[in-house]
Amino acid sequence: MIEFKNVSKVYSNGTSALNNINLHIKKGEFVFIVGSSGAGKSTFLKLIMHEELPSSGIIYLDGIRITSISKKEVPYLRRKMGIVFQDFRLIDKMNVFDNVAFAMRVTGASEKDVKKRVPYILGLVGLQNKEIRRPAELSGGEQQRVSLARALVNNPSIIIADEPTGNIDPEMSYEIVELLTEINKRGTTILMVTHEHDLVKQFGKRVIEINDGVITSDR
Amino acid sequence: MNISSLKYLLSEGLKNVFKNWMMSVASICVLVICLILTGSAALFSMNISNALNTIEAQNSVAVFLNEDIETLEALQIGEQIKGLPNVLNCEFRSKEEVVEKFKDELGSIFDGVKSRNPFPHTFYVTLNDISKYPETAEQIQQIEGVEKVANHRDLFEKLTRFDKLISISGIFIVIVLGLISLFIISSTIKLTMYSRRFEISIMKSVGATDWFVRIPFIVEGIIIGIISAVISSLILKFLYDIIISYINSLIPFSHISFSSVSLPVFLSFIAAGIGFGLIGGLISIGKYLKKEGGEILGW
Repeated sequence: MIEFKNVSKVYSNGTSALNNINLHIKKGEFVFIVGSSGAGKSTFLKLIMHEELPSSGIIYLDGIRITSISKKEVPYLRRKMGIVFQDFRLIDKMNVFDNVAFAMRVTGASEKDVKKRVPYILGLVGLQNKEIRRPAELSGGEQQRVSLARALVNNPSIIIADEPTGNIDPEMSYEIVELLTEINKRGTTILMVTHEHDLVKQFGKRVIEINDGVITSDR
Repeated sequence: MNISSLKYLLSEGLKNVFKNWMMSVASICVLVICLILTGSAALFSMNISNALNTIEAQNSVAVFLNEDIETLEALQIGEQIKGLPNVLNCEFRSKEEVVEKFKDELGSIFDGVKSRNPFPHTFYVTLNDISKYPETAEQIQQIEGVEKVANHRDLFEKLTRFDKLISISGIFIVIVLGLISLFIISSTIKLTMYSRRFEISIMKSVGATDWFVRIPFIVEGIIIGIISAVISSLILKFLYDIIISYINSLIPFSHISFSSVSLPVFLSFIAAGIGFGLIGGLISIGKYLKKEGGEILGW
């Protein structure tokens, strides 16, 4: 599903963010990426999302060599992934339904499909009765579920969650990871960056640790 | 692209116009001024060439006699003019008739002309072949008692020169204002983009194409252009009617009515407005998407 071959990233200011990374994540896997801040986790995600290009090395995603695709192909690559942010990134003036529908509309989905798909996904994350609520009226955990619903709505083959539990209380955090596990069981690959070692231990999944730009452990 | 997407993109573009309404108003104002100036220069030019055509169409030459020539003498001069090869017809108008005609056409301005008539006896000479005007004018000029042959070329050249002057200064002003309006439109759109950067980053993260991100901002530019075109057409019509009727009250002249050119004026304004909006939009979006617009995680 994701393969890094001798990938290094040095930013234009000279900062070396990743150094000769080699790894393989299989389809349907659930992987935690851990490491201290500044370790290179964000760069790792940016490379997968094609927001940054590596200075050297090759990256494959779903069999596509994404390090050599054209700029025009990037949006279609991103439709294969759903992204969940630490700060939820919901649009305040839109209600829950529209926040999720937004992700479908901007990829050109028809309104008929939006009306069919969004309620289904909101049901999946347990927000079936909150369609007309605004993000501000929801708890942190609920907001993150909306963000997760938005990431899922285009039926991606991989979910990239960038510290999704960073802004919510521990109990809710557990629920979010549990939800991700449920989604993973349906075949979606999950890549979750986190600081929370306790949470990682509870779920017993594959853990890749990045420190100073290199993989220090993969278990 | 399906209808849902089109509806979505158009409504987003419309929302953008109101999002930074003050900047939108500023863009519209500058674009309106720019369009009105361009339109005025064009209408002026059209009226000048209309006048030139009218003069050309009247192949009649006014011949003014010396002020002290008596009527009888004048009629004899008329016979000489009639004898010239290129002269088809020669119509006499006495000093008194000339004054009366001007009074009829221009009214009260000539009321004071009683004690001393400033006009000479005049002949209106129709030519067989207007292209031989210079030679015929020269022959008439040489007849004794002829003060002046009204030289159309002079008027022609003066009007043409004036038209050129207006066109060149008009083009210069329009270019400067055009650049200013492009700058303001693109700044307006940049501001909207900045205020929507959050949504743009989400759009990019879920795989919206650059064109999908761009279109609402281009629509914003086009809406600003269309609003400006409508406003400037209305203002131009209003100003044109007032100015023409004022000038006409002073010196009656054959002018172009606004209604006869309103459609081309309106359509070219719309085209220019759309063009400006489109270019303004593309400039700002291009820059934005190349730089910070590409960021998702770290915006």
